Amino acid sequence: MIRLALAATLLLAAPAEAHKLKLFAAAEGAVIVGTAYFSGGDAARGLTGRVLAPDGAEIATFNTGEDGGFRIEALSRMDHTLSVDGGDGHVASTTVAAAELPRSLPASPLSGMVMSPPAAPSAAADMPVAATDAIEAAVARQIRPLRQQLDAYEDKVRLHDLIGGVGTIFGLFGIYAWVSARRRSR
Amino acid sequence: MAHIPDGVLSTPVLLAGAVVSAAGVAFGLRRLDPVRVPRVAVLSAVLFIASLVHLPAGPASVHLLLNGLAGIVLGSAAFPAMLVALLLQAVLFGFGGVVVLGVNTMDMAVPALAAGMVFRLAWTGGDPRRAAVLGAVAGGGAVLLTAVMVGGVLAASGREFATAARVVVLTHLPVMAVEAVFTAAAVALLARVKPEMLTSGAARPA
Repeated sequence: MIRLALAATLLLAAPAEAHKLKLFAAAEGAVIVGTAYFSGGDAARGLTGRVLAPDGAEIATFNTGEDGGFRIEALSRMDHTLSVDGGDGHVASTTVAAAELPRSLPASPLSGMVMSPPAAPSAAADMPVAATDAIEAAVARQIRPLRQQLDAYEDKVRLHDLIGGVGTIFGLFGIYAWVSARRRSR
Repeated sequence: MAHIPDGVLSTPVLLAGAVVSAAGVAFGLRRLDPVRVPRVAVLSAVLFIASLVHLPAGPASVHLLLNGLAGIVLGSAAFPAMLVALLLQAVLFGFGGVVVLGVNTMDMAVPALAAGMVFRLAWTGGDPRRAAVLGAVAGGGAVLLTAVMVGGVLAASGREFATAARVVVLTHLPVMAVEAVFTAAAVALLARVKPEMLTSGAARPA
């Protein structure tokens, strides 16, 4: 009876779920959109996150919403490192590369702090940039769910990992038993 | 939760954890009877998989630790069993970091040892029902101690202890309950069918 209950508990537990904080972020135009979640898919609600410049300076902070989501306005074209802290030792971070952000943003991380608009030399030169930005933002919006899914998939615990791990454990202890048996027989 | 990722703890804490765990593993292996190695391997595999048994707990999600059970069955050999299980979890699943392996092993194995010692002092064979009650206390207590230790190492790395400990202990209250029931069931079963597994630990008979 007890054995049955134990077996049922172990079998019913979804093997794909576990407790690890994950952070996904991607740029949609000049906005960095992302979510924080626990591996297994549960949203990480109400966490505080920080946005860091490449030199480690804190640019901004954000809070995750009910669904673990957040949006941050990027002010300059540089690598944005995002990190969230669960407070109980769970942290996660990810980087949105400068290349993902639109070219119309100022490149210097320092000028990004003050909201200086990019110096537009002429309307004619500015037009194609704006058009490219719109296309890039649209494409980014379309593929974001896909990227997010891929990101989650990468971290999924799969059966072969599980079996490989158990096999490795038995192998390691087998080697230990073999070595200690040899030592004894001598 | 003894899956602290890399980059959270400070270097002195990491070093201290590594030293404690290395000493524990060395001690555990030296006292380990080669005949009992398969038992350690089985428990290590169980610990490895236990982290995937996932329970929703309010806003967070938690999983079984089973370190109380490991301590009861393995005694000091819980250290090597835990180290191997945590290493493979870190490598294969990305749970917890590799650098913090020492601290994570310490947080899991020290309560395991304590639970095992308490259990063996209080139960020397006999009534399985008494064993079940003691198993529940040992299982729940080991989880609580692990949670407090996680809060402690977080505090030692510059976080506010009260906050960290409260969060960790609160999220682990449901685990404590489940773990107590689970350990009680497992221990009651062992006490009935294989009581020598509970009284000896994995050490050489002195």
